[in-house]
Amino acid sequence: MTATIALLLDAYRLLNARKIFWITMILSLLVVGSFALVGIDEQGISIAWWNLELFEINTGIAGFTQAVFYKLIFVNFGINIWLSWVATILGLITTASIFPEFLGAGSIDVVLSKPISRLRLYVVKYITGLLFVFLQVTAFTLASFLVIGLRGGSWEPGLFIAIPLVTLFFSYLFAICALLGVITRSTIASLLLTVLIWFGIWIVQSAEGTLMMFQLMLDQRVEGYQQAADRIEERLAKVEDPDDTERWAFLHESLEKRKETLADATSSAASLDAWHTGLIGVMTVLPKTGETIQLLERWTIDLAELPQNENDTTRPLVNDEGDFRPDEQRLAEDIQQAKRDRSVWWILGTSVIFELVLVLIGGWLFWRRDF
Amino acid sequence: MNSTDSIIDVRNVHKTFKKRVKALRGVDMQVHPGEIFGLLGPNGAGKSTLVKILMTVVRPSAISGTFLGKPVGTKSALREVGYLPEHHNFPNYLTGRQVIEFSGALSGMLKRQRRANANRLLDRVGMTRWASSRLKTYSKGMLQRVGLAQAMVNDPRIVVLDEPTDGVDPVGRREIRDLLLELRGEGRTIFLNSHLLSELEMVCDRVAIMVQGQVSMQGTIEELTCDSRRFEIDCSGAEPEWLGTIEKATAEVDDERCCIRVRTDDVEDIQPLLDRLRSDGRTITRVHAMRESLEDLFMRAVTEDDGTVASPGGVVERGRGKEGDA
Repeated sequence: MTATIALLLDAYRLLNARKIFWITMILSLLVVGSFALVGIDEQGISIAWWNLELFEINTGIAGFTQAVFYKLIFVNFGINIWLSWVATILGLITTASIFPEFLGAGSIDVVLSKPISRLRLYVVKYITGLLFVFLQVTAFTLASFLVIGLRGGSWEPGLFIAIPLVTLFFSYLFAICALLGVITRSTIASLLLTVLIWFGIWIVQSAEGTLMMFQLMLDQRVEGYQQAADRIEERLAKVEDPDDTERWAFLHESLEKRKETLADATSSAASLDAWHTGLIGVMTVLPKTGETIQLLERWTIDLAELPQNENDTTRPLVNDEGDFRPDEQRLAEDIQQAKRDRSVWWILGTSVIFELVLVLIGGWLFWRRDF
Repeated sequence: MNSTDSIIDVRNVHKTFKKRVKALRGVDMQVHPGEIFGLLGPNGAGKSTLVKILMTVVRPSAISGTFLGKPVGTKSALREVGYLPEHHNFPNYLTGRQVIEFSGALSGMLKRQRRANANRLLDRVGMTRWASSRLKTYSKGMLQRVGLAQAMVNDPRIVVLDEPTDGVDPVGRREIRDLLLELRGEGRTIFLNSHLLSELEMVCDRVAIMVQGQVSMQGTIEELTCDSRRFEIDCSGAEPEWLGTIEKATAEVDDERCCIRVRTDDVEDIQPLLDRLRSDGRTITRVHAMRESLEDLFMRAVTEDDGTVASPGGVVERGRGKEGDA
């Protein structure tokens, strides 16, 4: 235990000695400070002393409170952009050198000559690498908690779930970076390859998101043409004059067209579903970086808290001319709901399995390597 | 001494890198408690590989024997070992004191104990004044002193030092030498790996010379040089006519002076010769006991029978072989 504590303390000293750690910390606090400058009331949004009346967002919208507004800023800007991208890239730049430097000649010799098993050494060193993000997120979340409490008037301890979630998200990437650091022993190579793999994961996730959107849109299309076909059948049934063959033929022809389009849409939906299922399979074995971060929104913001737009539910998806026009608001809600419906086990469990596998491979390579 | 009492008792150590380069080819070595043991050899002889195997930094292809009474590679044995690697690279964001205390903590020492030891050792290596300065401000010699201190922080039974005087000025070398002798006086064992033969000669009780992954010679300097021991007698006059009748004696004449060499390590053997020279009326100006220097011994070890010096580096096997098949 003494050795483990010493390694953790050493990791803190390492971070403390790096300017980028403090620069990121100051930037994080400035980002939170900028939240505090943003205000919202019934007149709209203001930044410091300037009222931005061009925005139609204000607390006059039913159910939209200052607390929800600040939580939205915290999640969408603070977490989704700042911590998930900017601070993570800075974190990777700071920590990518941990393993290559640790494995360098003259550094590793002294540590390996101590009565500590190699596997334990690797795991402890890996955990110390997460310290950067842990400290950054803790400071950021604490400051955000105070801003939401003081400016929004709502004390939300639930925000602190961001600390384990963002640290977990970073740990997926650091597991890749640490493994590459052991293999290549090069900071630049491990950093660039990690970013490349991260980009690859993002591509897969984006592709899945896009496919899901198309699939939901196709579902609306199928639904729309089904409804259109039903409407025509109803009209056919109401044709009172059996001799009105012209109208009957027109409706019949329309019905055939709708059924034909419906069959096409159903077939496309099935095909897209197969692709989507395949992509979900690929995603299952990869870390769910985006979805892990999105859990924060799921757990801190209730959809019911968000302002509800007036939705014209009477407009048919397919008009009488047979043109399909998707219900975009419903589509956005369906996408959001579909993502929220994904199980936490699938998001976190499979990601953690991915991470554990990488840590074990890295530990095994470290264990058997000569230095 | 019984080999079971040895601090290091390793046999048949093999290490093959990448299935081709045979860095160690059946090394046998014993280091006894309380001695200063010097490991010599040209570059690439396998010295550092052997040290790294003992320190668990490199995994052997084959090995038998013990280190501090436990099979080599046993991590718990390293609790009683201090190690200063060659070209060490301690984190430069740490201060001298932090390096020493960090090393102690990794050895499992409690905070109070490692702090007390750090203070004592900083004083011992003359670094108390710079204890709170970061390593990046240190000179090479200061780094070496701190490195030595961290190797001793856990009160080790054996201190393994790889080129400890590298980059240290003559005064510092003298101080390190004195420190090693003090450590031996405390009953600790010192395992020294160095190229500086003159320094090793001054402090080592026993040495081993490695050449191309094998131990070429091993023993006390006295034992290893006993065959080369001789007496040189300078006297006046030409070469005595009767010198040919004396076993192991040769002469060299220069400007009416004669230098007689007798290959023996027993001073009694030359007494009759001295008596006879005096009875011939010659003036004896010098009698000197001679032996090979460690450098001579080293050169003898690394020189092949045909007079060529052994090439540096491990033995590379042609084609691909199985690891550890040496």
